[in-house]
Parts: sequence; structure tokens; C-alpha cells
Amino acid sequence: MAAAALRSAMVARKSRPIAFVRDIPWTAASHELREHFGQFGRVRRCTLPFDRETGFHKGIAWIVFSSSEELQNALQQENHTIDGVKVQVQAQKPSFARESSI
Amino acid sequence: MAALLRSSRWLLRAGAASRLPFSFRLLAGGPGRLHPLPCLPAARAGPAAGDLASQARQYAAIAAKEQNDLQEESASARGKNVGQFEWALMRLDDSVRRTGRIPKTLLEKIFMNTCRSVGTPGSNQVLLLLRSCGSLLPELTHSERTEFVHRIWDQLQKLGTTYDISHYNALLKVYLQNEYKFSPTDFLAKMEEANIQPNRVTYQRLIAAYCNVGDIEGASKILGFMKSKDLPVTEAVFSALVTGHARAGDMENAENIITVMKEAGIEPGPDTYLALLNAYAEKGDIDCVKQTLEKVKKSDIYLMDRDLLQVIFAFSKAGYPQYVSEILEKITYEGRYIPDAMNLILLLVTEKMEDTALEILLACPAPRKENLSDFGSFFLQHCVTMNTPAEKLQDYCKKLKAAQMHSCPLQFTLHCALSARKADLAKALMEALKEEDFPVRAHYFWPLLAGHQKEKNVQGIIEVLKGMHEVGINPDQDTYITYVFPCFDSVKSARTVLQENGCPVDNGTFSQAELRSEALNGNLDFVLSFLKSNTSHFSYLYLRGSVILAFRRCVDINLWSKITELFYKDKRYYLGPQGPTEAVGYFLYTLIDSMSDSEVQAKEECLRQYFHQLKKMNITISQNIYRGIRNILDSYRVPELIKDVNVLVEVEKTDSEKTSQLKSSDLESKLENLKAENQPIRDTLRQLILVLCSEENMQKALEIKAKYESDMVVSGYAALIGLCCRHDNVEDALNLKQEFDRLDSTAVLDTRKYTELVKVLEKHGKLQDAVNILKEMKEKDVVVRDGTILSFFHILNGAALRGEVETVKQLHETIVTSGLAKPSIAISSPLVTVYLEKDDVRAALEASVECYEKYKVLPRIHDVLCKLMEKGESDLIQKVMDFVSHEQGEMMMLYDLFFAFLQMGNYKEAKKIIETPGIRARPGRLQWFCDRCIASNQVETLEKLVELTQKLFECDRDQLYYNLLRLYKMNGDWQRADVVWNKIQEENIIPHEKTLRLLAEIFSNANQEVPFDVPELWYEDKTHGRIVLSPSHEETDLQNEMLKACQRKDSKGAYDIFLKAQNQDTVFCSEAYRTLVKLLLVDGYTDAMEVKQAAETHIKGFTLNEAANSLLILAQVRRDYLKEALTVLRTALDLGQLPSRMAVTRLIQAFGLKGDVESIQTIQTMVKGLEHTIGLSRMIFINNIALAQIKSNNIDVAVENIESMLTSENSPVEPQYFGLTYLFRKVIEEQLEPALEKISIMAERLANQFAVYKPVTDLFLQLVDSGKVDDARALLQRCGAIAEQTSVLSAFCIRKSQTPGQTPTLKSLTELIPELKEKEAAYTSIIRSYALDSDVASAKALYEHLTARNVKLNDLFLKRYAVLLSSAGEPVPFTEPPESFEFYTKQLKESREDPL
Repeated sequence: MAAAALRSAMVARKSRPIAFVRDIPWTAASHELREHFGQFGRVRRCTLPFDRETGFHKGIAWIVFSSSEELQNALQQENHTIDGVKVQVQAQKPSFARESSI
Repeated sequence: MAALLRSSRWLLRAGAASRLPFSFRLLAGGPGRLHPLPCLPAARAGPAAGDLASQARQYAAIAAKEQNDLQEESASARGKNVGQFEWALMRLDDSVRRTGRIPKTLLEKIFMNTCRSVGTPGSNQVLLLLRSCGSLLPELTHSERTEFVHRIWDQLQKLGTTYDISHYNALLKVYLQNEYKFSPTDFLAKMEEANIQPNRVTYQRLIAAYCNVGDIEGASKILGFMKSKDLPVTEAVFSALVTGHARAGDMENAENIITVMKEAGIEPGPDTYLALLNAYAEKGDIDCVKQTLEKVKKSDIYLMDRDLLQVIFAFSKAGYPQYVSEILEKITYEGRYIPDAMNLILLLVTEKMEDTALEILLACPAPRKENLSDFGSFFLQHCVTMNTPAEKLQDYCKKLKAAQMHSCPLQFTLHCALSARKADLAKALMEALKEEDFPVRAHYFWPLLAGHQKEKNVQGIIEVLKGMHEVGINPDQDTYITYVFPCFDSVKSARTVLQENGCPVDNGTFSQAELRSEALNGNLDFVLSFLKSNTSHFSYLYLRGSVILAFRRCVDINLWSKITELFYKDKRYYLGPQGPTEAVGYFLYTLIDSMSDSEVQAKEECLRQYFHQLKKMNITISQNIYRGIRNILDSYRVPELIKDVNVLVEVEKTDSEKTSQLKSSDLESKLENLKAENQPIRDTLRQLILVLCSEENMQKALEIKAKYESDMVVSGYAALIGLCCRHDNVEDALNLKQEFDRLDSTAVLDTRKYTELVKVLEKHGKLQDAVNILKEMKEKDVVVRDGTILSFFHILNGAALRGEVETVKQLHETIVTSGLAKPSIAISSPLVTVYLEKDDVRAALEASVECYEKYKVLPRIHDVLCKLMEKGESDLIQKVMDFVSHEQGEMMMLYDLFFAFLQMGNYKEAKKIIETPGIRARPGRLQWFCDRCIASNQVETLEKLVELTQKLFECDRDQLYYNLLRLYKMNGDWQRADVVWNKIQEENIIPHEKTLRLLAEIFSNANQEVPFDVPELWYEDKTHGRIVLSPSHEETDLQNEMLKACQRKDSKGAYDIFLKAQNQDTVFCSEAYRTLVKLLLVDGYTDAMEVKQAAETHIKGFTLNEAANSLLILAQVRRDYLKEALTVLRTALDLGQLPSRMAVTRLIQAFGLKGDVESIQTIQTMVKGLEHTIGLSRMIFINNIALAQIKSNNIDVAVENIESMLTSENSPVEPQYFGLTYLFRKVIEEQLEPALEKISIMAERLANQFAVYKPVTDLFLQLVDSGKVDDARALLQRCGAIAEQTSVLSAFCIRKSQTPGQTPTLKSLTELIPELKEKEAAYTSIIRSYALDSDVASAKALYEHLTARNVKLNDLFLKRYAVLLSSAGEPVPFTEPPESFEFYTKQLKESREDPL
């Protein structure tokens, strides 16, 4: 499920407003991410891949917003703290989209 | 015991001392730290902390070398093993440096990789694995570690590893670190069985093993062994004995050891005191510990933090944790402290002394910055592993949080517990989290579920689900889908089993999970029936995702359409603001949007049918949605666009302009012709100048330039300037430069010409001109490269060495202020050098300081400091130190002082400096000093450097020993190298392969047995020597004696020794045989062959080297053993050797004279492609094959071949280089009249019919040369064009004029062709010949003839003539050219190189 969703997120077209989030604490799951990023706009998709072997997620996620304004809102905020841990947020590099479209 | 020890004093002074320098024995107590294994049997921090830093260092050390060494590797199979070693080393090193330990998993991984790799693992890789099994595994109990090391040992042995002494010593070390109880005698027996000789390190460690269990008797036994073997007793042994006595309960004797040591002449060092401290600590005697620490503090012994950590461990292990805080107060927190402390903390946790561990942790000066705030993690993690009770952990978490050592300790600990799948602990921690108001979430249980799921453990799953319920968490869809359902045959059975087992199941979540799960399996039927029977009224939004998933998993247009129809028609699914049109439209949009472009492309046809089907069902979507879908579909067609990109690929233009190489003579005549015809000559002139310059013909070039000055172009000047600079002709260079500027003031020379100009100007004292050139370089923005800067340095340094203060200053100033070069240390050092050369150290210091003030560099401060120390200028030294430490920091100052003290031999002061707390290794500076010592062969200084840096933090020990070995190799000092080999084991260094190779080389060069396996392939040769060599002294002596005789070139003496060795059945090493063969070949072919044969019988695969083989070929040619010589040539070439030009040429010529065409052709095939590398003449095969054919009466074939070559368009050699002189000379010499006749006819025919004049001219000249003047005249009459072959004739004159006694030949030649005399090259040569033969009369005649003809004579001619006249006491009728004779000789040389 997660993999499929991830793929579809990565496949997203260049213009897609996607935030790439790193350093997510293990205590947070996609519900927490949606909640946090919901502040900035409508989260259309939230992909947080888990490792089935360990049962922990990998600390990275893709957040698909409805519009690039919403993404900009999220990016403009300096600090993103989830469960007391600072996470890193950046715009998904378009190269991802291109790679997958080839 | 005491008696035994006291007698060791004798040991030190006598026998052993002569072999081992005292300094090395002192060193021996160093970081081995094997004796202070001070704690009770279970575990000790001693080696743990003690070895840690040294091991970390040695890892770091080797890792740092990786790059270099990898470059050295050939692409052989070995490369892989080396790569593996480096990889392992890097990983382990990194781990130890950062965390003070090696995780077991990492070591396991490396071990597995080693086992799996092809071939026998490298010796150092094995060592690395073994050594990692001790204190670097603080997370494992001692027995686990020892078990591990045994597993590695046995497994690797099975894989064919041969263990050497370093491996046995490493195993011992691990035993000691792991407090493994073993029998030292059994261990010795095991070594004996493996035929490994124990060494000093082995005995030391065995003594430590006895002492650890308080067995003084056993230790004494070993000590007796050491004594009987004359091995030095080091501090390490005494320290072990302190521990031994203490553990035997005899504190009095333990304390007494220090006195005994001193009596034996060994000063107790930190190790001894540490052993004593540990002994007190084990007894819980804090007072004595404190007293001893005070005593140590007052002495010049320096205990490091990690020593104190050992004392802490001793206290806590012995049950006195109350004293830990008192020792902690004394910690200084050096840079290296953290990894050591981490190691100890982990060890304490392993030993179930978590409270003490926490105490140490909390005292750590951990970085408390926000991003690094989770320092305590390693502790918590290990506590979890070691099953520390939950309550304790909760307490630790609170304390760590309060101390700001961890931002979220509970969460982290929970993570650890979950990772380790410790459900009970996890549950307790979750409760604790809840108390802290931190939410507990469903996915916290996933790690626990994941474990059970893997094993399909239904019971486990049920328990976790129950546990979730207890904590108040309901499983979500993902929990069910990912971790619960897979454990059951079906979702249905899952529901049943869970309900039966009392797991509360939330119907809604479970059903949705079921739908999703089925959708994932592409079960469209289920999806359809679910939607139809959807009684729970799930909203469309909740279900859409699953439906789309199912669509993508399974293509069934019929079902797709049915499901879609449901959305369109069933009110449950389009309730709300959306009408059915919107609902379906949005569904379609989301469906396509969720697919990737490739997916859409792949399913294009299905989607088309699906849409048609929907159409048939009268399903419609809105305009808006349509646009959205169109946009997506549009954007998915990207690939077409990509195609066009290809068109843009740049087609590279290949544009190769070939410039034909013309000779200066041709160009000159061309130039003259052009001039005569009044045609533009610039281009030709430029070409000519360039060619002359490349021929280094300065005189001619200048002449041409003078002659055609008005047509000179910039590039011609540039080349001329370079030429004059190279020939040190400062005047012309400067003039040319001015003319160059006049021609075009914006023109720029290339960088090298500028620097050459500067150099030549500066050298001739034209300082201002040099400065101007430098300024011009800047103004014209000349490209400055590294090489340019190096040139600047050489210019400056040259002036400095000549003591020219002003020159250095001005040039340096110009270079630096104009920005041509950055004021680096190197470029500024001449400013100081100039004063040091004058022995004016004050001025030198001032210059250096001034440099610092101006440019922030402190050149040659080391030399200045040394000079100051030498002169005892303590005030100035103080000044320097203040200055350096103020400007560059204390560390730099300390290194400066350290190096200066070392250099001056004041080791005591040097030691104090390098033991300054906080000082750490600066690899660059250390290497700098090592290189310096090696360059000036300062053995003692370098040894001291290595000794004193033993405990230096992060010091690359392997690299330092490598440097030391470099020096020993230079001096051929294998004894000292052997000391290093011992030290490497004692210090627990894992030597890099480079170091091992060097060691092996030193040993085998000295004909010593190499005490370890050298894994290199390319050592095969040396290994042969080693295997054959038995270490008997007599043999070595004989060989050395023989080599010495070879050195004296005493071939008879050397041969006699060889014979003696043969009689005794003594075998030398390959190299020795080679040396002897080479010497004998000079005059004793038979003897040489005998030696070669002997070597071949003794040493399998013995071969001669390149030089020897070449000599052998020459010797065989001299003796007419041509077939043998051919075989040798073939062997040499097969070995990839390059025989000398001389050898190959002589062999070919010999076959030529023998008439053996076939052999020559064989050689031709053999050396094909190598002709140029060997340096063979292009004509050699043509000449000699022809000669051979003539000799074997195939004159016609020879003539035909040559003629066809010369008339063919594909001649292997251009006609003007087709020199048959050798053939002609041989034919004339050998009086092969019929051949001569036919050749003559051929030469004439070539001249008359094909206008190829070279052969006939060469023949003519050979006739003249061999005195057949009449034949020559006849030939000339038949072929008048010979007289016009000026270049060939001139070249002949030039060649002839180089040896005395050629006057008659030249006279005959000029009589035959009188006009030749007037050609410049010719008359210059002829006069030289006359001068050589002191033929004044002929010279006079020539001079008069030439002046009568108004020939403008060059200076060279006049000079030579003038000198000839005056040496004969005759008056000189003109002014003798002013330049020195050498000047003209040089010019003559140039004109000779001018092939005309």
C-alpha cells in the first residue's frame, strides 16, 4: 500500500506541490504528519514508508498538497516540530518526477 | 623473585643492550598496558580504556593511508582483498573513534565477508579481526568475546590462514583483555606445535596472564625464560608484577617493585603507577590512591584520563562505587576522553553496574547543543540490551532529561525496547510516556507485531493486540493489513480467531481493512459485493482509495464498469453536495491521477474500452473534470518531447591540421629563394626561426634574425628569447625582448619564457630588468601556474643561497605585492634563508616575523628555532614562542618547540612538550618532520619522534613506524627494523600492508627470515630467495662476502667465494647470483654461465635482469655464440625486459656479417613495436638484411629490395634518411667487389632515373672515406649531382671533423668537390679537423682560399683559426673573436647538431 502510494507520489508531475520531509521521529506516523501539515493547506496525500521487517518507518515522508501556494506556506515556516523533534522540510525536487516519467 | 629481578639489571646493561638501543627498551612499557589488568577476574576497565585510544589511533592511522596505498596497487586480484581490508578498517576505525567500541554486528559482518571472500584472507585483515575481539566489544561479556575470538581463529585457520607471531600475540592480548583463564604453558606448547617462536611481547603477555591471577611463581618462570634468552625486561614486566603481587595479597611487595625497578635501571612510568593505583583501588584504599596520585602529580609522570578511568573501574568492580566521584573530580576531560568514557560506561552496564555508568555519563562534558543533545542514547540502548529493570530506566531517563543530556529519553528507550522486541519493558515505558502526557499510538506496536508476523506467531499477535487494548489503543487499518492479516489464511479466519481469543475487534476499522486488503489483492468481486452490501454506510471518501487500488491491481473492464455504475447510481455513494456526475467524474480523475504515466500508457487500450463501456452506460462527467483529466493525460505524453533533444547533440568537430616537419636547411634555402623572388617570407622565416630554436641552434637563429630583421614576427622573437635564456645569453635575450616590445607592445610571451627571462636577468645582476619583467607579467595578466610559482621559488632561493639580500627582497616583494604568487611559506622562505646562510639568526628571525606580519606565514621557523637553541638565545626563543602562540595558537607553538628540541637532541624537553595535556596529532606536521629526518638520515631523531608520540592522541602510529622503516631500509638496518616489528605488536598496531611490505623488504635484503607472511604477488621473486635461504650464519656470511667482492669489482674473488659456496652446498639469494653474473660477464663468460646455471638449479624460476641479459648478449656476440644470444634475447623479451640498444644492434650486425637473413628477420619480428623504445636505428634491419643477403650470395635480391623500397611510395624510411652507409662500408671493408659493383649501379640508377641522390652520395663518401679516391672520382664524373648534395656532404664533414686524423679524407673530399669548401658547415668542420690535427698549412690555405673568394667567415671559424695560429706561434692576421673558446665550442656543438 505504502509503496504504491509512494510511487504515485513520486510519479507526480513537475508542478506537483510536494514537500519532502526528513528526520521524522519514530513516534509520529502519517496521522501526525497530516495533522501538522494540515495547518498549511489540504494534504491530498501523505506517504510515510514503513519497513515491514522492523515495524519502524524510515523517517522520511512525502506530503502532497492541493496547490503550490499551500506548499509555499509550509516551506516558509522556519521550524517544523513534530513530537518535540525538529523535522526538515523541503520542496520535492522536480528531478524525481522526471526520472520516474522516463 | 627479587634476585631474579635484580639480575635483570645485568641484562639491561650487557648482552641485550648491545643489540637493542636503550631507548627502545624504555619505550617497551608503553601503551601495551597488558600488565595493569588490575581488576578481579570478571572484567577490567584497564585494557578497555587503555587500549581504546591506542587502537583507535592505529585504526585511524591505517585508514588515513588508504588512499595512497590503493593507488599503489596493481589491478591484480590482490586489489580486491586490499579493498576489503581497507573497507573493514574504515568501518571499524570510524566506529571506535566515534563511539569507543565496535558493535558486534559490524564485526560479525566483516568476519562473514572475510570468510566469504576468495582466497586466504590477508594477514593484517586477520589481525584486525582478532584484535577487535577484546575491550573494543564492551557490550559483550568476556566469555562471549573469547568465544568470538576462538570462532574467528578456528574458522580462519580452516580457510588456510597461516598464523604468525603477531597473531599469537594478538590472541594473548585478547585473552588478557577478556580475563580469559588459560594455561600459559599450554599456549606456549601450542605455539611450539605451530613452529612459532615466542618473542619478547609473548613473554610479557604471559607474565601478565600469571600476574592477573596472582601467580608470581608462574610469572617468575616466564621471567626466567626471558632471562635465558637475553630478552630485555621492560617496564611492562615490572608493572605486571605490581599487579601480580597485589593480587597475591602482598601489597608490600607490590609497592616494593618500584624500588626494584629503579635499582634495575628502569624508571617507573605511568604504567607502573597505574598498576599500583589499580591495586589500591581493588582493595578499596582511597587514601593510598590519593597519595599515589599526588606523588605522581609531583613527578614528571603524566597520567591520562583514561588511566583514571581504569582506576574508576577498579573501584567499582571491587565494590567501592562510593569512591568513583572522587576520581571523577580528577578527570581533565581531554579531547580523547569521550570515546574512552563511552567504552567504560558500556562495560559497566555489561557488568551490571549501571548506576556507576550513569554517574560517569552525567559527568561527561557532553555537547549540549540542541542538535547533539542525545548523547546519552548509547547508554540507554545498552541498558535495554542488558535488561536493566524498567523502573531504573525510567529513573535514568528523568535524570538524563534533567541534565539536558537527552531531549526525549523515554521515547528513545522505548524505541530500543521495541527494536529489541522486549514487550514487557515496552509496555512499562508506554505507560510512563502516558504519564508524561505523551500520546501512545498504534504504530508503536508494529515492531512487536513485525517480529511475530515473520514467524506467523498467531499467539504472539494476539498478545500484542491485547496489550494494545490494555494501553487503550485500537489497531488501525494498517495494523490489520500489514501485520495481522498475513498471519492468517484469510481475513475471515482472522476475525474468528481474534474474536475467539477475546481480542476486541472494532467492526468498522476491521471491515475497511478487509476491503483494503482485498483491494490490494485485486479482488474486484469482493469490492463489488462489499460496496453492494455496505451496511455500515461508509462514506464514498473512505472507500474511494481502496476501490482505485483494486482497479489498478486488476484489469477487468466489466467489473470496473459495474463498480463505477454503482457510484453513479447508488445514492449511498453520491450523497452530499456532489451529484452523481461529479462523483464519477472525480473518481475517474483520481483514478487516472493516481496512475503513473507509464501505467496509463500500458493500460491505454483498457482505459479506452472502459470509457466506451461507461459511455454505453450513459455515464457522464462534467466539463471541468474533463479538462482536468485532459491535462493529466496531456502531461503524461512527455516522451515525445524528449526525442527532439537528441537533435541538439553537438557533433564534435575534428580539425587536425598537420604541420609537416621541415628541416632548417630546407627552410633556409626556401627562404632564400623566396627572398630572391621578392615574395613574402614572413611565414617561412617564422618557421625557420622556430625550427632553429627547437634545434637549439642559437647562433644560426640569431644570424637569420639579423639578416631578415624587418620580416620578423612576434612568435619568432618569443622563440628566440626563450632560446637565449636557455643559453644564458642575457644580453641578446634582453635586446630581443626590447625589440619584441617595439614590434608589438601588447604582445605577451608565455609564462615559462617570462620566468626564464627573470631568472637569467637576476642571475646576471640585472635586478631592475628582472623586476620590470615581473611587473609586466602582472600587467599583461600572464597565467601563473604551480610550476611558475615553483620557478619563482627557485629564482629566489638561488639568490638567497648566494647571499644576495637585496635581490631576494626586491624580487619577493615584486612577486608578492603584484599578486603573481601568494605569499606562501615556500615562496617566502628565501627571505629567511638568505640570513640563515649568513649565520645571522637574529636577522633571520626578524625576517620570518616580518613575513608573518606582512603575509601571515612564518617561514623556516623550525630552522630559526634550532639555530637559536644552538646559540642558547633563550630570550629570543621565548620571544618566538610568545609570538607563535599568540599568532598561530598554542598547538603550533608546541609543535615548533617539540621539533626544535628533537632536532637539537634535547629529548627530555621534547617529551615534556609532547605530553602537554590537550595536544593532539597533527599528521601533516608529523609527516613533515619525518620526511625531514629521512632526507637527512637522522635516525636517532626520528626514533625519538616515534617514541615520544606513542601516546599522542590520534597519532598515526603505523605511519610513523612506516617512516622509521623507510629510514632503516635506506640504511639497511634490519636489526632496528626487527625492534620495530616487536614494537608494532606491543603497541597493538595493525600494520598496513605497505608497512609489512617494507619490513619484509628490509629483512630479505639483509637475508633475514621474514617473520610473517607477505601477501604480495610481486614478492614471488624475493620469496624464492627467502625460501631457499636457510638462516645459517655461515651462508649469510659467505653471501655477504661475495657481494662485497662484487662491489670491489673483484670478479676473481667473488667467483672463488661462489665456488666455495657451491662446494658447501650453500645457496645464495637470486639477487646475489645476478650481481655475480653481471660482474663476471665483463670478462669471464664461462664463469658467468656456470654461476647462472648454478642459480638456475638452486632457485626455481631464476632469471637474469635486463642489464645482465644485455651484458650476456654482448658477451655471447663477442664469442660468436649467436644462437645462444638469440635465445637470451627471446627470454629477456618474454620476461618483458628491454635489452639495451647496443646488445640488440650488435647481435643483428653479427647475423648480418654471418649472412644469416633468417635470424635477423626473427629478431625483427621479436622486437616489433619496440624498435623505438629500444632505440634501434630505422635502417638497421634494411642494412643488415641486405648485407646478409649479399653475404649469402643473394646480391640481386638485396639490390632489388633496396631499390624497390626507395622507389616505392610506401618506403618504410623517407629517401633523405635512407642511410645505407653501414652497408656500403661493410661491402667495401669486406671487399665484396661484385656486390659493390651492383650496388654502385643501383645507386647511380636511383640518382639518374628517380632523382634519389642519398644512396649515391653515401656511396661516394664511403669510397672517399676508405681511400678509394679514384673510384669516387669516377662515380662523381658519372653522377655530377653528388656535388650538389650539400646537406649530406656537410653532415659527413661535420661527423668526420669530430675525430682526429680525418684531415686526409676531408682533403680528398674537397679536392674532388672544391666548391664544398665554401659552404659554411663544411668549412667550419674542415677547419676544426685541421685544428685537431694541428695542420696549420692546410688551415692557412683554406683561409686564404676563402678570403680570396670573399666568403664571409663566421666567428667560429675565425676563433678556431686564430687559436690554431697562435698555438703554432704564428701571428693572427685579424682580431681574434672576443668571446671565450667555450662559447664557440658550444656554438660549434649546436652547428654540429644542425643537420644542414
